[in-house]
Amino acid sequence: MHAIKVLLRNKSAKIFSGRYYATSKQKIPDLEEEDSLPVFQYPTSKASDRNMYMWGLAETGALGIHMPRGKKGRKQYRNNFSLCWYPMRSAFAERFDVEHVAAGYGFTVASIKTDEQHKVFGTGINTDSQIGYHAPRIGHPLELLLSPAPIFLPYKSLETKIIGMDAGRAHTAILTDNEGVYTLGNNAYGQCGRKINQNEDYKGSVNSHNIKRLGGEKITSVCCGQDHTLFITESGKVFACGWGADGQTGLGTYDNRAIPAQVKGDITSEKIVKVASTGDCVLALNDQGEVFGWGNSEYGQIPMQCGSQQVNMSYSLLEFCRGLGKITDIAAGGSFCLIVNEAGDAFVWGFGLLGLGPNVKHSNKPKQIPSTLFGRNEFNTDSRVEKVACGIGHLAAITNDGQLYMWGRNRQGCLGLGYTKDQYFPLKVAIGGHVLKVLCSVDHSVAICRPFT
Amino acid sequence: MQKLQLTLAIIKPHAVSNPVVLSFIRNILKNKFIVVKTKRVNLDTETACRFYQEHVGKFFYNRLTTFMASGCIDLHVLGHVNAIHLWRKILGPTSVYKGQFQDPYCLRGMFGISDTRNVAHGSDSEDSAEREIKFFFPEFSFYHWRLDDEEWFRRGPIIFNDHFFQHVKKL
Repeated sequence: MHAIKVLLRNKSAKIFSGRYYATSKQKIPDLEEEDSLPVFQYPTSKASDRNMYMWGLAETGALGIHMPRGKKGRKQYRNNFSLCWYPMRSAFAERFDVEHVAAGYGFTVASIKTDEQHKVFGTGINTDSQIGYHAPRIGHPLELLLSPAPIFLPYKSLETKIIGMDAGRAHTAILTDNEGVYTLGNNAYGQCGRKINQNEDYKGSVNSHNIKRLGGEKITSVCCGQDHTLFITESGKVFACGWGADGQTGLGTYDNRAIPAQVKGDITSEKIVKVASTGDCVLALNDQGEVFGWGNSEYGQIPMQCGSQQVNMSYSLLEFCRGLGKITDIAAGGSFCLIVNEAGDAFVWGFGLLGLGPNVKHSNKPKQIPSTLFGRNEFNTDSRVEKVACGIGHLAAITNDGQLYMWGRNRQGCLGLGYTKDQYFPLKVAIGGHVLKVLCSVDHSVAICRPFT
Repeated sequence: MQKLQLTLAIIKPHAVSNPVVLSFIRNILKNKFIVVKTKRVNLDTETACRFYQEHVGKFFYNRLTTFMASGCIDLHVLGHVNAIHLWRKILGPTSVYKGQFQDPYCLRGMFGISDTRNVAHGSDSEDSAEREIKFFFPEFSFYHWRLDDEEWFRRGPIIFNDHFFQHVKKL
């Protein structure tokens, strides 16, 4: 080895023994030629582009992002989760045109614009086959997917479009434009809308269930709580199935419901446009801007005269929300509710870190979160909150200029603020885009943005 | 040396179906306790009702039993000098929504989803631990435990068997 080095050195010394000089001639720039030269066009994003940002617990694979992990110990991961502290742009959404996203407990599902078979992709926990059957070897299904994989669904026609989706603790509901709803995953309570099979093994299951129509009408919207599913039909009727032990199905009983049935109570004659549920409490909004609620009320989410903690029928919260004006968006978390009115003010009630100060509070009445915290000041008087979302313990609001504010319990960094301390008041999250929609799960959050241009 | 105390830990369905949570909990069990017995079962509603007989009539009884019957649960008999208190301390307050602010780094504060889906169950006293262990492990003999096994598990030598997820005598 040494000999070769010496040989090389001698040889190179021979080659470069002569001296070379750079030429003194300078090229005189030709102005006309310069004009004809091509100018490099940097790629710019179109207004129709959609970016997806994700943050929170990356350990489950729900973000589809591989986080580096220090080489401290062989099994360090058992005590040390990999977290995404700040919103990270998902590479998946750069490759495909992502349209709808749903965030469940430890998994994420996204649909893309395409006319091919694989319209829906999922990543994260798959122990109940909530994101389909994925087996590298036959008979050995994966329990955890670290990057997005296509979900097989038996579409009748490939022109079918996905128009909505939502995910719960261990089930997924995917809404199509003319084939109804496809449900996947755990059906222990009947949350997939099919018959409960006592000894069914959900791991490695290839089943998906199709609910074509409910009450003879097309389904226009779907919403999943932790273990129940809610459907809205064309005429604004609400159907529910799944776990009813807290009355979250609103069917007047506390039993599980396997086949979707129409929610009873005050909403039967109303045209409902949105239902919101993350935990076991449900809020519904009709076309007049009035709020209805049912389900778990242990922390006063659905205040009842009789003080009942489990409300099994829908009740109008008209009296409760008197003086707030027309309500435009609703969100229900684990122990609290969040609503927005026409003027863009956010109101919150229930128990937890509501954004009203550093103390964990219980509020019986809707209380306004000061609009200054959402960026309304004398220089920016028309800042309004437009959309809201709730996780189990954290809350989110989007203003009309596409800013995302988050606060509440910061479990596994799901607020995206760069730390895991709880956040007592709304704080702006650093996202490089105009936020259109935010989805909060138990320990991760997803935002769909469009570019600022 | 003090005698070993036994307690029953039940890992609830939502934690068993989350591999990240399960490996975290199992790591704690393995390193802090002597795992005497482990079993994974799928309860039916009647068994769950019989197990939670003391809660009959409370408003959460129905949702607790239907939840416990909704999937696989892991049962562990844990041995430690102070097993009952230690396991309940690691678990944290029963109510997740309230407890997660008092003690954010207990198991329930980290992984609990709601007051019912609160990760795990721990026996609250020596008597109830014995009753609960007998309920789920009818073959487990307290007579032999006190006479013979307790001393062996206390003094060793024991090794951890990953396949059964329990400590076994090293022969």
